[in-house]
Amino acid sequence: MNHLTSGKTAAMLNKVPAVTRTFWIIKIMSTTVGETGADFLAVHVGLGTAMTGGIMVVLLIAGLLVQLRMRRYLPWIYWLTVVLVSVVGTQITDALTDRLDISLFVSTGVFALLLATTFAIWYWRERTLSIHTIVTTRRELFYWAAILFTFALGTAAGDLATESLNLGFNLGVMVFSAALVAVMAAYYMGVNAVLTFWLAYILTRPLGASLGDLLSQSRANGGAGLGTIQTSVVFLVVIVSLVALLSLANRGPKLKAEIVNGDK
Amino acid sequence: MKKLKPVHAIFLLSTFGVVSLGVAPLFRPLEIVTPAEAASIPKIGDLSSYRKIVVDTASMVEKGDLVRAKIRIKDLEISWDEAEPSLKPRSPAEWHTIDKAIDRALSNLRASDPDAAACNQSLSELLQLMDVAGGKP
Repeated sequence: MNHLTSGKTAAMLNKVPAVTRTFWIIKIMSTTVGETGADFLAVHVGLGTAMTGGIMVVLLIAGLLVQLRMRRYLPWIYWLTVVLVSVVGTQITDALTDRLDISLFVSTGVFALLLATTFAIWYWRERTLSIHTIVTTRRELFYWAAILFTFALGTAAGDLATESLNLGFNLGVMVFSAALVAVMAAYYMGVNAVLTFWLAYILTRPLGASLGDLLSQSRANGGAGLGTIQTSVVFLVVIVSLVALLSLANRGPKLKAEIVNGDK
Repeated sequence: MKKLKPVHAIFLLSTFGVVSLGVAPLFRPLEIVTPAEAASIPKIGDLSSYRKIVVDTASMVEKGDLVRAKIRIKDLEISWDEAEPSLKPRSPAEWHTIDKAIDRALSNLRASDPDAAACNQSLSELLQLMDVAGGKP
């Protein structure tokens, strides 16, 4: 990776994690927590969707600023940013659908094009879309823009499947898992890594949502009856534990002070 | 490192986007429920628990107790929101119609100076929509 030797970029290590099984588990679960968390504030706490949306955007900007200032990948701030992007991406799509009455076909199409445009500009400027060399702030901004659009697109495309195909969460879990397995198979058969990574990233959004629904919805409706709050708490505990484990594994000699909640 | 052909990813996504935009005008969901259908098992599922909250709220409004009505309708907001993943896929068009009607009732009851007549009106419209979709209990 000779990118690292060129001047300014040498000061910064790759800012984003390697794609492992843990990566995907946290990613899927953070989708659910992001959505139910925002829902909880809007409905149960009674802040309303507009107020909740505003709060989440402010939190996202703050989280992103902290993430951008880091010189290397730190699990807690990276994953906190992902959860916040997940919430905001979902809220953008919901606002378009519920407030502005924009058809899900239109929002799905527009977000796919926006994502494609992001990749096109990213590639044009950087000559690579590799997530293994996110070593400059500009590349990192491309990365987060792409992630925001995948969440918005994942929400729109997932809702579109729900509404136009009457795809309930039971079937949804199966269909989205099958699609994810197909993408995984394609990756192992040599289909290009950039394409399969981002496709999987989009698909895990509706998969996470239907998985959350499967656990939280009442038994009468075919769910496990855990309720949204309990489901979110369970997922949150798993996420925090995994991120804590990653932080411990990732601990460099200078970084001891920055480890959050590292159990001893 | 694997050979990357990002052009493919960009092309695929663009095609998907354009196709989705192209078919958008063909899908304007319009589902009309005939009375015969409404009388049998409702497509959207059992709405009786939501209907009961609307009836309760409406009777509070009738008695002029807008404060209690506002508290009672929150039960509807929460339970309706909780059941969204179960109800919406069964009958998306009906779900959206009722969802909008709930939003109207909520904003009338939560107005800083709530208008009893407007509350009454939006609640009876909501009740009617629920009866069409869910069949009378």
